[in-house]
Amino acid sequence: MPGDWTDYIGQIIFILFFLMLFTGMNQKIQVKLWAYDIRNKLSIIKRYADDSRSRIEEILNKLGVREPSGIVNKFMNFFMIEPVDIEPTDIIRRLDHLIRSRERIFKDSLARTLPELGKYERSLLESSLEIASVLNYVYKSIRHYLLLGEKYNNWVLLMQLQFMMPETMKLVETYYKSLDSFIKGTPIGDSVGPLVAYKIMEKGKILSKNVIEDTVVAEVWLDNRRVYVIKAEGPGSNVGKPGKVLADLVEKLSGNVDLVVTIDAALKLEGEELGEIAEGVGAAIGDPGPEKIAIERATSRHNIQLSAIVIKMGLPEALHAMKKELYEAVERTVDYLLNLIKNATKEGSTIIIAGIGNSIGVAQ
Amino acid sequence: MTFFNDPTLLLIVIILGVTVILLQLYIESRRKPRELPRITRTLLKCTKCGNVLEIDYEEGDFISLVKGKCSKCGAPMKIQAIYTIEVKQPK
Ligand SMILES: [Zn+2]
Repeated sequence: MPGDWTDYIGQIIFILFFLMLFTGMNQKIQVKLWAYDIRNKLSIIKRYADDSRSRIEEILNKLGVREPSGIVNKFMNFFMIEPVDIEPTDIIRRLDHLIRSRERIFKDSLARTLPELGKYERSLLESSLEIASVLNYVYKSIRHYLLLGEKYNNWVLLMQLQFMMPETMKLVETYYKSLDSFIKGTPIGDSVGPLVAYKIMEKGKILSKNVIEDTVVAEVWLDNRRVYVIKAEGPGSNVGKPGKVLADLVEKLSGNVDLVVTIDAALKLEGEELGEIAEGVGAAIGDPGPEKIAIERATSRHNIQLSAIVIKMGLPEALHAMKKELYEAVERTVDYLLNLIKNATKEGSTIIIAGIGNSIGVAQ
Repeated sequence: MTFFNDPTLLLIVIILGVTVILLQLYIESRRKPRELPRITRTLLKCTKCGNVLEIDYEEGDFISLVKGKCSKCGAPMKIQAIYTIEVKQPK
């Protein structure tokens, strides 16, 4: 039958399709879908951020703080302004000063509200607060860009945001899950450095042990060599000041050191094996700068060989409770290190070994 | 415009399309290596005879803590490691 009404409907749909293509309507639909997807994921991030916050408030409550939200708020919104870098003169000193000030403010205000709180519990609380503030920051940034994109109808911004979401979600999950370790105080993947240092201490005979700036320096007699082992003080969540302590030690020994070895966790490339060990030269330490430069300056001034051993892992493995594979890597690293010392130095030499990383769950 | 006129043909095309998408999603979810749940364990080692024992982690454990007595010689045991292992799930 000619002129069937369904025929007209088909034509109208076709024309509408064409019009949409030319007027950009299809893109508007696409943008709406993107925004919808981002909003969904944002609500998951919010749940993570709120949950981490309430877990910390609960802990504070148990410790006897009546108004925990005040403290949590203060830490969540705390910021640090990067020093001027177009004028690099003494930038390291300025940066170091800011990092130390931040740490002091954190410590002091926690000590003020919870004076009877032990060093160990305080360090765990500090790290947990830092994780919660990262989650909160990610939530606020994503929300900012989503609202901005919608406000100015900037669909390129929304598209970028939408494409970034899978990675962001992975990061957020990683941080959220790491809260478990920091609340309980179990060693994390990043603790491999301090753990290697601890194992070296155990292997030899300890002659002396000091704690300087949250960092342990142990003098160990091992294989007829004088070995100074440096690690952050455990078992609290703490990275110490290994760079500065190492530099001071080199000066104290007036440069009479034959070998300096730094051991740290390193981010593996996608596809690389978890727990792979690699040796190289340089200071294996991932701080913003001050600690690393201290090691480089001290060793170059006295012309000391600076070796580095890294254990490779992904970011989730570095922040979550230590996997058994990483513990096995630690044992292999200890053997590797003992071999390195035997081959690179003679009997009677002086060696410094610094296990870099967070000492959570690893005492000395 | 016979395509729009024939409802059965349209239905077949839609069903086919949906099946292909669902199949692809299913294959993708199968290919992803899913992470098994993990539990935390504490490794103890005798300070005298070197006897090794792995137990469940308890809150407050940390490496170098002296905990418990050796079942063989009675000497104190020290925590050597705390790590997570995969829990084997029955299929
Ligand atoms: Zn025993």
